[in-house]
Amino acid sequence: MEPAVITQTKPIPRTQKTVSDKWYAFWLIAPAMAIILFFALVPLFYAVDVSFRHADLTMGGLQGWVGLNNYRAMLHDAKFWETVKTTVVFTFFAIVVEMVLGVAVAFLIYGATVGKGIIRSLVILPLATAPAVTGLFWRYLYDLDFGPFNYFLGLLHLPQPNWLGDIHLGMTSLIIFDTWLWMPFVTLIVLAGLQSLPKEPFEAAELDGASTFRVMRKLTFPMLSPVLTLVFILRTIDCLRLYDSVATLTRGAPGDTTETMTYYLYRQGLVFFRMDFASTMALLFMFAVIVASGFALRPLLARLAQRAGSR
Amino acid sequence: MLQQKDSKIGEILRYAIIVIVLAAVLFPIAWLLLTSFKAEADIRVSPPHFLFTPTFENYLYVFQKANFLSFIGNTLLDAGVSTIFVIVLSSLAAYSFARYNPGGGNILFFILTTKMFPAIAVVLPYFLIFKTIGNTAVGKFLQIGLDKPGALIISYTMFNLPFAIWLMVSFFQDIPRELEDSARLDGYNRLQVLRRVVLPLASPGIAVTAIFCLIFSWNEFLFAYVLTRTTARTITVGVESFFTLRGILWGPVAAAATISVVPMLIFVLILQRYMVRGLTFGAVRG
Repeated sequence: MEPAVITQTKPIPRTQKTVSDKWYAFWLIAPAMAIILFFALVPLFYAVDVSFRHADLTMGGLQGWVGLNNYRAMLHDAKFWETVKTTVVFTFFAIVVEMVLGVAVAFLIYGATVGKGIIRSLVILPLATAPAVTGLFWRYLYDLDFGPFNYFLGLLHLPQPNWLGDIHLGMTSLIIFDTWLWMPFVTLIVLAGLQSLPKEPFEAAELDGASTFRVMRKLTFPMLSPVLTLVFILRTIDCLRLYDSVATLTRGAPGDTTETMTYYLYRQGLVFFRMDFASTMALLFMFAVIVASGFALRPLLARLAQRAGSR
Repeated sequence: MLQQKDSKIGEILRYAIIVIVLAAVLFPIAWLLLTSFKAEADIRVSPPHFLFTPTFENYLYVFQKANFLSFIGNTLLDAGVSTIFVIVLSSLAAYSFARYNPGGGNILFFILTTKMFPAIAVVLPYFLIFKTIGNTAVGKFLQIGLDKPGALIISYTMFNLPFAIWLMVSFFQDIPRELEDSARLDGYNRLQVLRRVVLPLASPGIAVTAIFCLIFSWNEFLFAYVLTRTTARTITVGVESFFTLRGILWGPVAAAATISVVPMLIFVLILQRYMVRGLTFGAVRG
């Protein structure tokens, strides 16, 4: 009798996964994985194939194998590296601004007592707009002659810059637009993360008389870190592949100061129809991002494994 | 007493900053709305006209010349159906990753890498895939093919899945296991636990994810541009036609943008309440 009672009250060892757990886990991810595998791998193999060929769609389409020639050509293409630099500069500044503002606004709204729901709905409005359409409209907002931005700056007796025409300003204008568009994304996800934090540690800290700063540093940010990492990574990937905003707002101008790598890729592929160069660039881009994000993601994945394992 | 006064000042400061943030965020949208009701003569002027006779000519233009009703219907269909697919598939997968971590993080990482391939490089293979499928009987029956809604629904499902899975994993992780364990002890089987305990608790996360999937596919441009011609065109691509030799027609652009924003707005407002941390959530953690 005695041992039976003990085995019943003793929790099942949590590190042990039963076989049926594994199958259950497998069947849950199977449908999603089937779609992802097919629709991700087919384009990938296609791109790999094309990247080793000569493929000028204006002259005969897919042709013979050229080995690593396309890779050599791209790596020696000064324009390619220039666009890579533009992309990195854009990503760095856009991410810093969006993350800092987005998190700050999330905390502001989280602490609000009245009208939280309304404020949140209003703040995330830019997300409901299409970058392809609003990018177009922002050209009007930035317009040198008719744009409201310069009108209001004029009222305040501030300089009225040529937002989209000045070579030193194009990138800033692009970052401002991107921040307007995506800061709400950061805010919304961080806010959802804040709202799902457990209450007790904070109540306990309050009882202990911990300062707000200390609570933030020791409790809020550590507990929020998975959400913050996630937003950071999603935003970084999106910034690196920035296309819509460039295509509609600046078109790479002024000069080619806002020509990001993906916009160059687009021009190679769908304007000059050099699919070989475009595919090669896409693969190089993906390789670089995978390597970089592999490092960035390691802590998050380790944490996930630990949490899932601690069953 | 002192503390109360202190927090009152803090409160005023908080709302002051919120108002400034809101003004900055909403100004472009307000200007968009205003412009959509302006006649061409009121748009290209400096200083801008704040008082003007509102006109519906931009909206008329959009509906008459640009066949916008069909664009709206297509966009609604593509975004709605793909969001349902994504939510069903990704909540199952994300739950699995959060609880059992199949593949030890490698599969999850692989899923994210599919987002790292530039969309422009994906579009041409997709064009060829859907061209092939569209010529088969199955493709014709399921409306999958070029200039058919099925092609965009599948494309949007595909490109929202990685994001949705990643977002939901973090929400599922926050659900305490003890609840699931005790539900199992109460005699629920695995699927019942998932349906009756886990999914309701994860509803704020699911709602947030659904909002994003819907918005992303609603606003998508590149795939819609390449994979459709006439019958399956969506709003964002339709706006392209306002690029004319006379320059960009700001009025119609603003009207079209307004039309495309309003349904998303309503949707976000409806789903608001699910995003508010549910009573159960608080009770569980307490």
